[in-house]
Amino acid sequence: MVREFKLPDVGEGVAEGEIVSWLVEEGDPVTEDQAVAEVETDKAIVEVPSPVDGTVREIIPEEGEVVEVGSVIITFDVEGEEAEPADETTESATSEQSTESQTETAEEPEVSADEEVSTGEGRVFAAPSARRLARELGVNIATVEGTGPSGRVTEQDVRQAAESPDVQDTSGSTEGPSPMDSSGSTGGPSPESTGGATSGPAPESADRDRTLAAPATRRIAEEQGVNLNAVPATEQRDGEAFVTSEAVMQYAEAQQQAQQEQAETAAATPAGEQVERIQYKGVRKTIGDAMSRSKYTSPHVTHHDTAVVENLVDTRERLKPKAEEQGIRLTYMPFVMKAVVAALKQHPKLNAELDEEAGEILRKKFYNVGVATATDAGLMVPVVDDVDQKGLLQISSEVNEVVQKARDRSISRDELQGSTFSVTNFGAIGGEYATPILNYPEAAILGIGELKQRPVVEDGEVVAKHTLPISLSIDHRIVDGADAAAFANTFIEYVENPELLLLE
Amino acid sequence: MVVGDISTGTDVLVIGAGPGGYVAAIRAGQLDLDVTLVEKDAYGGTCLNYGCIPSKAMITASDLAHEAGHAEEMGIYADPEVEMGEMVGWKDGVVDQLTGGVEKLCKANGVELMEGRAEFASEDKARIVHGGEGQGSETVEFEHAIVSTGSRPIEVPGFDFGDDPVLDSRQALALEEVPESLVIVGAGYIGMELAGVFAKLGTDVTVVEMLDSVLPGYEDDLARPVKKRAEELDIDFHFGEAASGWEESGDGITVRTEDEEGTVSEFGAEKVLVAVGREPVTDTLELENAGVETDENGFVQTDDRARTNVDHIYAIGDVAGEPMLAHKASKEGQVAAEVIAGEPSALDYQAVPAAVFTDPEIGTVGMTEQEAQEQGFEPVVGKFPFNASGRALTTGHADGFVRVVADEPSGFLLGAQIVGPEASELIAELGFAIEMGATLEDVAATIHTHPTLSEAVMEAAENALGHAIHTLNR
Repeated sequence: MVREFKLPDVGEGVAEGEIVSWLVEEGDPVTEDQAVAEVETDKAIVEVPSPVDGTVREIIPEEGEVVEVGSVIITFDVEGEEAEPADETTESATSEQSTESQTETAEEPEVSADEEVSTGEGRVFAAPSARRLARELGVNIATVEGTGPSGRVTEQDVRQAAESPDVQDTSGSTEGPSPMDSSGSTGGPSPESTGGATSGPAPESADRDRTLAAPATRRIAEEQGVNLNAVPATEQRDGEAFVTSEAVMQYAEAQQQAQQEQAETAAATPAGEQVERIQYKGVRKTIGDAMSRSKYTSPHVTHHDTAVVENLVDTRERLKPKAEEQGIRLTYMPFVMKAVVAALKQHPKLNAELDEEAGEILRKKFYNVGVATATDAGLMVPVVDDVDQKGLLQISSEVNEVVQKARDRSISRDELQGSTFSVTNFGAIGGEYATPILNYPEAAILGIGELKQRPVVEDGEVVAKHTLPISLSIDHRIVDGADAAAFANTFIEYVENPELLLLE
Repeated sequence: MVVGDISTGTDVLVIGAGPGGYVAAIRAGQLDLDVTLVEKDAYGGTCLNYGCIPSKAMITASDLAHEAGHAEEMGIYADPEVEMGEMVGWKDGVVDQLTGGVEKLCKANGVELMEGRAEFASEDKARIVHGGEGQGSETVEFEHAIVSTGSRPIEVPGFDFGDDPVLDSRQALALEEVPESLVIVGAGYIGMELAGVFAKLGTDVTVVEMLDSVLPGYEDDLARPVKKRAEELDIDFHFGEAASGWEESGDGITVRTEDEEGTVSEFGAEKVLVAVGREPVTDTLELENAGVETDENGFVQTDDRARTNVDHIYAIGDVAGEPMLAHKASKEGQVAAEVIAGEPSALDYQAVPAAVFTDPEIGTVGMTEQEAQEQGFEPVVGKFPFNASGRALTTGHADGFVRVVADEPSGFLLGAQIVGPEASELIAELGFAIEMGATLEDVAATIHTHPTLSEAVMEAAENALGHAIHTLNR
């Protein structure tokens, strides 16, 4: 049998190495662990040992060549087994070990040749609980990099893998740091943060006045340029700190390492490992692509205003128990949606889209309202159809349903399409005004700020009233600022006087 | 549908109430599915009624009888008298308690129990044929079906289990009297377990095996202490001989065997026990009506969620393939029920433990050294012999060893083999370690109670790491 040998990962994070010299020639017999080549990396020259007893069949790179970790550098005929024709080398070596599970992983780029040799058939080492979690989160555990002992995959690894492809935005429900987490707190301990801590500042100095140590230890300290009073004491003698020679050496090494790392960090990446790299892909990228397309296609203009909604608050309070009797949690959203539709009927320019290809403005005579929803997977806009034809309770129950479906990702494509106008309720998280980006190609989107008591001037006096800040973005190609203001006024009239909705 | 059939509907139809089927039914019931469990014979299946449980009961009883009579070394002198009928009666009591428990648990979990033999009529209907004249049949319409009909002993041509002196394992465990002499055809685990039982009860046992050793499925060094002990019990072995027939002779029978060269030998005995293996019961189900395929050996092929080629029909346990082990069946049953209920369940265990209740016992889990090698690992093994174990010596049984197999670069445990006292229990720790992705160091660094047999597990791991205390390191 022919055994291929790939350049193993000869040092931490080394991607390539130069073949300094071959210690064997083709046809030489070799024994397991016998050095066959010297490879120089940017850190050191290391000897590469043979993995098998056998005969050198082929030496591939020449001396002086730089080869990547994972590329085949030498092949062996393994002792006691029949040699095969050279041209079949690669094929036979792969097919020999191939099984279903390997075929699956074979498409993945190989991480390291060494790993393939030593970990057998792509077996994943993980506790049953981690395996179950992976299934629950839809993670292929074979692709998760383990951070546990000897590379075991932990539950934490699985969770991180589940989060990495589409990192959260507005939802605060996920564990661990998110890029929007402006507080800078890193949540629970993560392997990254632990790893990052090792390249910190120099070890803390113990800074004592008096330190006991053996004479030999004092000499070592002097040789290493270490202040004995700064070395952390491992034990006490007669109530005084006592330092051993090992402690001195450890301190000296740690100090040197820290200095070196500081120098390296300064030279290479200033941010070092404080930056977490997250793949921009999946749902996150889909959202991003849609946002840029919208933003760079439609000239956005945002109109801001505030409604004073005391009546709305009262009305909802009155209706809430009635709704609860029917098992429906009544929020402000159905009122907003009804008011939106009433305003759209009066200002049809905003229930429209521009068909650029056809050169036509499409005015829609139906009213499907999209409701922007923050989910663990990212922003989604589930849609409630024909809002004009439905009562508050029905709208309420449908909104609750589609939003929940979006959150648990059981929503269908259909339920995410076909809106004619969208509402985004950033106020649910907090804030007054924002610049909503159009749910392209819709002509307008209404952003709702936080409904709360704010100072309002009434008859020359400042009083506390419930107010609702609104931000209306429009596609300025087909909607003018005046249209936006007129729409906003109508909308405000409805939310300030919800009984008007009865006439709708 | 046959005229007169009563048709009922169910979410899940489980066919066969063995350790796979009843577990599947109970789990499905727990998950609020409407479940119907059909059994043609006895709740608990082969395991509870005719296999694991009765054989272990008889092994314990025969061990006790034998040991009590052979403990002179410890200063104990006794000559126990065995009343076989009472022993079998005690065993039946154990079985009844367990099967009764299964029935109660099923009912308590809302499982509808039905007696009869199931045949598929179509992809979503099965006919349940009730036993006996005029009992008729009924049709069950199902959303999902779980086939768990188990296996039955393979017959050897010329040896019909219907004939009085020819026994299968089930009949052997129900004998009312200890036979004076017994020929056992097959030195696999069933043959060897029962050879031990009868030899200890005083039967003159002869074992005939076509292959060249006992326990052919196991590594030589595991089988060796079993054979040695069997020979101490005066069990007579004949390897390389196949049983070819039997005939009555005088007050007993003569069993004929033939070796490769055609040489015929004859063995006189009172009875002959045929234990050459088991085959899946898939031929009575009319699987073809449901479109479920089987392989050339009659096994139903399943995926990692226990699904057959027909999406809503599942197969678990012996019918779903080797190894034919009750605990594998139970796990598959749980998974099938959970998958049906929409849970993210799958058969992704790393290793299935197995135990042979011979004297001494064998327990294995995961890979052998050779298997690890073949799968591309760099195996390292560590071994600890029981004759270096204080506890083993105090039990009077110090034959055998614990061996662990691990991947040397990473230290991950890959497998373990134990032969010796309580191997069937000891193997559990190593199964757990493998599932947890534990390393040799994890096992070695775990304090084990002294003085126990389990220390041998720790010592074997230490031996693999090259720092065993009580043995010389490899």
